[in-house]
Amino acid sequence: MLTDNAPSATVRAAVIDTGSRRRPSVRWGDRLAGLAMAAPAVVVFVAMFIVPMILAFVLSLTDWNGYSLRFDFIGLENYRFAFRNPRTIDAAVFTAVIAVVGTILCNALGLALAALVSAPGRANTVLRTIFFYPYIISALIIGFLWSALLAPHGAVNGVLAGLGAGPVPFLTDPAFAKATVILTIVWAHFGFNMILYIAGIKSVPTEFYEAATVDGASRWQQFRSITVPMIAPVVTVNLVLTLVGLLKVYDVVLALTDGGPAASTQTIVYQILKDSFAQSRLGLGAAQSVVLLVITAAIGLAVTFARRGAERKVTD
Amino acid sequence: MSTSLQDTPNLGAEALLAQPGDAPRATRRRGGRPASERRSPVAAIVRWIALGATALVMLIPLYVLVISAFKPQEEIVRHPLEISPTTFTLEFLGNAVTSSKFNVIAAYGITVLFVVLVNLFCILLSAPVAYVIARGRRKWHLALLLLFVSGLFIPGQVTLIPVVFVLRVLGLINTIPGFILFETAATLPVTIFLFTAYLRTVPRDIDEAAALDGAGRIRTFWACIFPIMRPVVATVVVLNSIGVWNDFVSPQIILGPGSGIYTVTTGVYAAVGEFSTDYTVVFPTLLLAIAPIVIFFIIMQRHIIGGLVAGATKG
Repeated sequence: MLTDNAPSATVRAAVIDTGSRRRPSVRWGDRLAGLAMAAPAVVVFVAMFIVPMILAFVLSLTDWNGYSLRFDFIGLENYRFAFRNPRTIDAAVFTAVIAVVGTILCNALGLALAALVSAPGRANTVLRTIFFYPYIISALIIGFLWSALLAPHGAVNGVLAGLGAGPVPFLTDPAFAKATVILTIVWAHFGFNMILYIAGIKSVPTEFYEAATVDGASRWQQFRSITVPMIAPVVTVNLVLTLVGLLKVYDVVLALTDGGPAASTQTIVYQILKDSFAQSRLGLGAAQSVVLLVITAAIGLAVTFARRGAERKVTD
Repeated sequence: MSTSLQDTPNLGAEALLAQPGDAPRATRRRGGRPASERRSPVAAIVRWIALGATALVMLIPLYVLVISAFKPQEEIVRHPLEISPTTFTLEFLGNAVTSSKFNVIAAYGITVLFVVLVNLFCILLSAPVAYVIARGRRKWHLALLLLFVSGLFIPGQVTLIPVVFVLRVLGLINTIPGFILFETAATLPVTIFLFTAYLRTVPRDIDEAAALDGAGRIRTFWACIFPIMRPVVATVVVLNSIGVWNDFVSPQIILGPGSGIYTVTTGVYAAVGEFSTDYTVVFPTLLLAIAPIVIFFIIMQRHIIGGLVAGATKG
């Protein structure tokens, strides 16, 4: 495919003369062309990413309501309010629980199933598809689906009633609702972790397994001593992506519980968007966003650095 | 000649290039089969029970969703797992299609339009800048790449509130151009990263040959280089399409209910949010919402999974 586009050597030789003579002007033309090619993307990116990043800090110091373009600076009042508001604290705690528990469950399930279905074969391909498909469905729709299934008169309680078990308050009891939110997220997300782990497992040279088999290592021993250390970088990617992703959970909560019952399942982004748009306090929302950004960046960096050791052992 | 850029290890590109090589690798693994054949029958049974149970947990919700779309409310509540020909009805699916709350056909059209426009603008913006970065040998080229890649670490929710401010200043809030602008910008970091990684593996000989033929840089890129980028463009289109189709927060906030423009997700929210106990509305609406993406997934499965892996292992 590449050679199709390469002109023959004779053509190349014929053009070399004129090319070298015109070089200085061509250079300038190239520079201008490069600028013209880079500029549009840079302008859009700066307008929609860099300027908003700076504005987030500025707006967090104001009482902007989102409608007018007028606002007053109120210092650190938004931050003070957010850190003292028990709703925000509860939301932050629940978000942390989702992130930690969700990350552990998604990665444990993802890695275990990856180990079971990574080999080629039609059955494994079908199983991989089945485990993975919820990931491509919008989190909002996943939330509505499970909300319908787990409602007091939903399918799950219907089946339980058929078995003689009483209705379980999946969505109506705060403790159950929290567990439901986390398990729904895990249900929809672990397939993605599994796919990444499979990609990692497939990149391990088969010679290692052959050598281990010759030495009489069991499959579990091979998994622990070859697969897990060899895919250490994939583990890091999975941990960071899941952890950082779950800190931003919103859609699924909105559809599944709408933050209830009694505000027990509100997440930090739920709180940010409610303050910003339902209550028209975008300054307060911006302040909480800034805090979320700092926490996200800190966790991402911390996990990456903490995992350095595990990854280095492999490459040494 | 500083070809050193091409020697640096490049995870994203490696992941991409590894895709076509999947087949030979698969056959190599088959060589390792004897290990699995030594497994005891008990272990095999446990394995299949675990896999079967997980598969059921994954599939039953989808099964209930599909059959419940064709049943009346009472049937849905009383016999959640069964569907009988006597109560089978297309009435509620029909109602959902013609619902005044949620115009499904219009939502499909709008969402597909958004997917196409975002993909188009994303590629038109990203490809040239990625080319400049990949071919650049100066410090500012690397700085430009780092600038774009920093966008990967900024959660969309953090920029959403100030973006509302920027769009209000520009007069684009609650408009389709405003939404397309934001959605396109959101796709730039991943796209530019993947494009740059790929372009660094494309030999410079092609550029030089085209330049000697008298083509300017812009023409060289679009006529000679861009056609070679097809695999990575496919990856990006897959990632963007799923992202835009499933996005809920950005259209909800930037377009707003006031604009009267509903995507599939904001439309479902408007239709189901109020009637979440009327299952004859909920299930048909959800079925209509997921049908296109599930069909797209089944057809494009290989590309989707490959694209997601490439997009995620970029770091």
